[in-house]
Amino acid sequence: MGVSSMKLDPRTKLVMVFSLSTLAVFVVDTLLLSIVLIISIIVSNFFKEDWGFLNRARKFILLLVGIAFLQSIFSPSGEILFGIKDFTLLTTGGLAKGIRVILRMLVIIISATIMKGSSPREIIQGLIQWKVPYEIAFMVSLAIRFIPILGQEAKDAFTAIQLRGIEIDKLSLTKRFKVYSYMFMPVLSGVIHRAKELSTSLEARAFRAYPERTSYIKLELSKNDLLIMSASIVFTITMLVIYILLR
Amino acid sequence: MNNVTFSYKKSEIILKNITTSFDKGEFAALIGPNGSGKTTFGKLMTGILSANEGSVFVEGKNIEEISLGNIGKKIGYLFQQPARQLFNPTVKEEIGFAHSFMGKSKEIVEQKVNKIIEEFSLQGLEDASPYRISRGERQRVALASIFINEPSFLILDEPTTGLDIVRKEQLSQLLKSLQPQGIGIIVISHDKDFINKNADRVIELYGGEQHEA
Repeated sequence: MGVSSMKLDPRTKLVMVFSLSTLAVFVVDTLLLSIVLIISIIVSNFFKEDWGFLNRARKFILLLVGIAFLQSIFSPSGEILFGIKDFTLLTTGGLAKGIRVILRMLVIIISATIMKGSSPREIIQGLIQWKVPYEIAFMVSLAIRFIPILGQEAKDAFTAIQLRGIEIDKLSLTKRFKVYSYMFMPVLSGVIHRAKELSTSLEARAFRAYPERTSYIKLELSKNDLLIMSASIVFTITMLVIYILLR
Repeated sequence: MNNVTFSYKKSEIILKNITTSFDKGEFAALIGPNGSGKTTFGKLMTGILSANEGSVFVEGKNIEEISLGNIGKKIGYLFQQPARQLFNPTVKEEIGFAHSFMGKSKEIVEQKVNKIIEEFSLQGLEDASPYRISRGERQRVALASIFINEPSFLILDEPTTGLDIVRKEQLSQLLKSLQPQGIGIIVISHDKDFINKNADRVIELYGGEQHEA
């Protein structure tokens, strides 16, 4: 039986994501980070997550590799691997740092996919039952809901720019970056407009009129939830201890 | 459009075997209920979407072989929400935006922008933010910005939404003034009065199929 068929509480999933992300942030060791990444992939696979998003995010992955490369250029250490005249481009230490950046980002992205199976409504309820003020929990759920919309709007803006007769492929790199910067205007304007409409609509529906909010959904932690939560916390602490001892 | 079929999901065909063509100087209207594929039709015609089957041709060339940038020089597309195609802090910059990336001299861009501002009755709004003007004005700015490329075709998605009678009349006159220049126009709309008044040809989309009205 896969973990996915157990139907885990969103709070359990949050603990798992938090554990893996914490390790990704604190651990500065390539081998340990690789282990954390493998575990993230296995856990995410248990939830039968659709890996098609990696294909959709391939441009983002290229950006990630670019950032890692820049990281390796600007923080050189160790032996020089590649350079042009006096300018060092790649060092062993820089390369290791770049690889760690990629591993870290992959752990965060892949562990976040664990949450994909839970609806924003369940997540918000989980947070409320954790005594997070419902205004903040609601904001979190709104943010999650709007991520794909923002992505679509950015895509639309990019299409609209090209349909103005601008052939991006033929522009120099500097001009290309300049064109990309123009995409923010319609996206930001859309965000502000939507935020205004949402706040008016929330006020009109008496949101925050009372300190407590009644909910139709009540989440209950099962034995499996408690077991997985405890295992995640123990695993995170153990990994951190191993890391500190190895340093 | 030659035998074009399109679906977002495999199980749900939006447009089925659509074959039609549009001529320069023609004023066509695309009507149909919500979800009938009107906007999809417009997006296929501009290469924003690719057909699952069949082909779309622009001036005899398969649209798949033309870049979006090149299509934009031939076909002007007005989005349902014009704010989505405005990128600059002032109206003047917005109109000259595309030309500023085409290697044209500042003087030529300036001349062209001033001419278009006059043609589209945007005098006095040159330094205004495109986001802080009325909907009708914003739509005229979006149209003017498209128009600087001198497209031979315009596709307007729901251009009369949110416009009062006076603004609709202004839009109608503006579009009529473009026709003698040989510019083809396709209006995607629900607005029967506007269509009856302006369109030479009406295509109705229903159940994924086209019906010439």
